[in-house]
Amino acid sequence: MQHFVLEQALNLLIEKGSINLKPLDQKVVRFSLQDLPLDVNFLCTNNRIFVLNDIDRPSNVAIKLKASAFFSLFKGEDLAELLRQDQITIHGDVKTAQLLVDLLQSIEIDLEEILSRYTGDIIAHEAGKVAANFKKSTKHSSSPINVIKDGFSNLLINPTVSELYKNKQQ
Amino acid sequence: MENTTHFGFKDVATEDKQSLVRGVFDSVAGKYDLMNDVLSFGAHRLWKRYTIASSNVKPGDKVLDIAGGTGDLAIEFRKKVGDSGHVILSDINAAMLGEGRKNLINQGVFGVDFIQLNAQYLPFKDNSFDCISIAFGLRNVTDKDQALREMHRILKPGGCLLILEFSTTDSEFLKKFYDFYSFNIMPKLGEIIADDKNSYQYLAESIRKHPNQETLKDMVLNAGFGFCEYHNLSGGIVALHKGIKA
Ligand SMILES: C[S@@+](CC[C@H](N)C(=O)[O-])C[C@H]1O[C@@H](n2cnc3c(N)ncnc32)[C@H](O)[C@@H]1O
Repeated sequence: MQHFVLEQALNLLIEKGSINLKPLDQKVVRFSLQDLPLDVNFLCTNNRIFVLNDIDRPSNVAIKLKASAFFSLFKGEDLAELLRQDQITIHGDVKTAQLLVDLLQSIEIDLEEILSRYTGDIIAHEAGKVAANFKKSTKHSSSPINVIKDGFSNLLINPTVSELYKNKQQ
Repeated sequence: MENTTHFGFKDVATEDKQSLVRGVFDSVAGKYDLMNDVLSFGAHRLWKRYTIASSNVKPGDKVLDIAGGTGDLAIEFRKKVGDSGHVILSDINAAMLGEGRKNLINQGVFGVDFIQLNAQYLPFKDNSFDCISIAFGLRNVTDKDQALREMHRILKPGGCLLILEFSTTDSEFLKKFYDFYSFNIMPKLGEIIADDKNSYQYLAESIRKHPNQETLKDMVLNAGFGFCEYHNLSGGIVALHKGIKA
């Protein structure tokens, strides 16, 4: 449930044909924030992406960054610039990392639209609102991705306790 | 007794389990969908929706639904793979497959193939499928490890296995409620609605005998999958395991 929305969004982008996954095939990219509890692995295989919590094998590329750099990336900041400023460390193949960052950045553009294809407009709109709120904040205790994912999954599985549902009722 | 396995809380000879399970599903087939809705308060539809959404299945994919019964998952997979894809609805039980066929026709879904098969022996070539699903079926399979190895064999590299199954909740409150519900209310409802108390008693018992989340994850990895993660739904009453062939 953790990485549900992120995985959906990425795979829809890939399906739309905007990003070629072949160069990333069979690659695992680990993405960790130093000061927030976000540590995910992106496994690219069979022309799709799986977002996994923990894996038993070493990743091909490990990207470590501070929360502020993470939010900058989501706002479209240039990866090379952040690397120059030492805001990000990358162990492994930088080209692979760049491809993944391209994917993550493009998620911001159409999150609402992408989600609506899956979930209907209302849920997508609510999830989009949550995403927008978190994009505004760089100090929040959890990552935007986790909040969107968890909020959305809650809504799907257990609507009565979902924060998204409560917001909608008001 | 050697070579025994469990059938609910009873120990039975391993070779007998399959026919006992068949008896259960022969008996419940006609009322299966109604009972699912009543017993899970409709939640099984949400669990299945989540499973489909998590599948990453896309147009053109080849999907096998094992123990597919009345076809809920196959119907949704068919919509996702489109005409260029291929969905097979399979089950060991002819009566359940028959209900599945009826269901698909009633819903105007065509282009799904039906195959009667045992999850332990999958009659397909290696590396054939993009996705395999088994919902509320694995706990009925006699040799689960063999079934998982077979699923791994016929998945393509990068293919994804989805196991939706009752599991173990950490919440004491949910546990108590769930125990009371499944051993007292579920068989009663089975008796009233489907006139079949024993089958629903078996279903409740088989849920308790099924491996918990971590054990099933290990089983999936031991079957050869490179990655496996699970997600608890409804507080762990149900879990979705996702195995990926590396
Ligand atoms: C509880 S039903 C689930 C049906 C459907 N997947 C759903 O979620 O509604 C379990 C199904 O598993 C099937 N089954 C039991 N043992 C099996 C085996 N060894 N191989 C394949 N299917 C089996 C039964 O016939 C039955 O249809």
